[in-house]
Amino acid sequence: MLNNLISVKNLKKSFGGIKAVDVQELSFIEGELTSIIGPNGAGKTTFFDLISGFQNADSGDVFLKANNISNSQPYKIARMGMVRTFQLTKVFDRMTVMENLLFSGSNVNNDSFLRSIFKLNSQKVYEKSLKDKANEIMNNLNIGHMADSYARELSGGQKKLLELARAIINDPEILLLDEPLAGVNPKLAEDILSLIKKLSEDGITVIMVEHNIEAVMKISERIVVLAEGSLIADGSPSEIRTNNNVIEAYLGKSDE
Amino acid sequence: MITKRFSLQYIFAFSLTIFSIYLVFFLNPEGAPRIVLNLFTFAGIYGLSAIGLNVHFGWTGLLNFGHASFMGVGAYVTLLLMPHAAGREGVVITTGLPFFAALTIGIIAASLFGLLLGLPAIRLRGDYLAIVTIAAAEIFRLLVRDLESITGGVYGIINYTENFQRYRPSFIDDLSDNLDFSASQGWVCIAAWISILFIVLFLKRLNNSPWGRALRAVREDEDAVRAMGKNAVWLKLQSFMLGAGIAGLSGVLLAFNYGSLESTVFIPLLTFYVWAIMILGGVGTITGPIFGSIIFWVIISETDRLAYILFENANGQQLAGVRFLLVGVLIMFLMIFRPNGLLGKKEELLLDVK
Repeated sequence: MLNNLISVKNLKKSFGGIKAVDVQELSFIEGELTSIIGPNGAGKTTFFDLISGFQNADSGDVFLKANNISNSQPYKIARMGMVRTFQLTKVFDRMTVMENLLFSGSNVNNDSFLRSIFKLNSQKVYEKSLKDKANEIMNNLNIGHMADSYARELSGGQKKLLELARAIINDPEILLLDEPLAGVNPKLAEDILSLIKKLSEDGITVIMVEHNIEAVMKISERIVVLAEGSLIADGSPSEIRTNNNVIEAYLGKSDE
Repeated sequence: MITKRFSLQYIFAFSLTIFSIYLVFFLNPEGAPRIVLNLFTFAGIYGLSAIGLNVHFGWTGLLNFGHASFMGVGAYVTLLLMPHAAGREGVVITTGLPFFAALTIGIIAASLFGLLLGLPAIRLRGDYLAIVTIAAAEIFRLLVRDLESITGGVYGIINYTENFQRYRPSFIDDLSDNLDFSASQGWVCIAAWISILFIVLFLKRLNNSPWGRALRAVREDEDAVRAMGKNAVWLKLQSFMLGAGIAGLSGVLLAFNYGSLESTVFIPLLTFYVWAIMILGGVGTITGPIFGSIIFWVIISETDRLAYILFENANGQQLAGVRFLLVGVLIMFLMIFRPNGLLGKKEELLLDVK
């Protein structure tokens, strides 16, 4: 049986009079690489914000496995293994690339004030292993040579990579990627795509919002289409390609 | 490469500080030890406070404009727990705790006040937090002024210095006889600089730790911190408490330096002086505020001498005007040539708040 990792029921969110998200029922299946597409203003990022806890829904529920996570704090959701990235990269500008990764990978106990005062040996050992892990991830993503640079010195594409690296250092079960290819040159986009594919193959459930339809069609196992906040199509890439609702939403209704 | 530039910064800061002190001797042929001691006492106390503010702003990015109230809570709680006299009539209270017990409780009280203020305010960002903190500090000051039966209000608290001065080592008295300065201020000065030494060592340890790293991440981007599974609110509260505790300690020292304590000490100007010192020294650095503080106080205390030399027959009022004009110009010059402060790193220039 397929395993529903995240399910959403009657999720609603409006801003003033504008309906941003209104999804009756939607589930994401463990291990599947799903893309969410839709025209600008379709509510894709708001949908991400709702399931990752960054915004509270007006009504409805979000379940992560058996837990109802609607209106949970974002950090609690992240600790349950669902990590997200942002449409506009949010790297820690005035920290080095290495520090960005060490902070993200470090667990809550390791960050504690008391442990940091006493600097126990266990903390040193933990930091060392974290550093090795960070180095490995950076080398895989070709940003190893930037380890000691400030994050704000990175190019736009490198920042995307850093954000991705930061998201995977915690070994998340679910990865929510908000436009991982936006503003990235074609060569790097290829690299990021193959990385996402590899993460998916390694067993991480990836849900991604992306405007680059070609890329989406190429790597997604399933595509969900939102328009004006509502679900208008859901299926495999080949189904979506020929779906009339989708064509209408993107190109506008014909007059006939 | 980075360390080389860093040590150059230190050399620059050191030379500027030594030059400033030399200037004090030069401008005051008579009574220099007294003036220098006074200057170093204030520099130590304000520098300590600025180090605390740097935990808030430099490390965590919290725009705290109510720093005076943390100093105030520390000072009032400590003094009121010890034997003292207060109010218009000078009501004498002879019972109380010994100095170190009262000091410990005072510092904890300042930390808890930071927590209390932080709870509702900490979910605000940037300038909103600034507005809340400055308002809270004013509320604190007005409360202290109106609770005359406890705090002495505008009449203040007196007769408490002995609680601390009884620990004064005798060598200070010998020195003060020879060099003609106040022995009690000498002891406050030494206490202030010992405190700075300990706090700096303590913060150095924390700065390179995972905790310090987490605070800096909060400063850079709270949303990303949350997305990484970290409780940003709790981190901010911890930072608020640590910085407030350090401010509380400096407030106690300030009270002992003045010898009497009224609510007017904790006006917003105190907060802005501390901000100026932190920015001069280098936001986000640990030792920067120390140099910033000395230079700030040389500028504050010696500009009237300078104004006096520049305008021979000026009266006091005119001198005061020229003096603060000079203060403004000097601080402007420092900020133009060293926008990141004396010790700050250019890459970490921290004056843009999100």
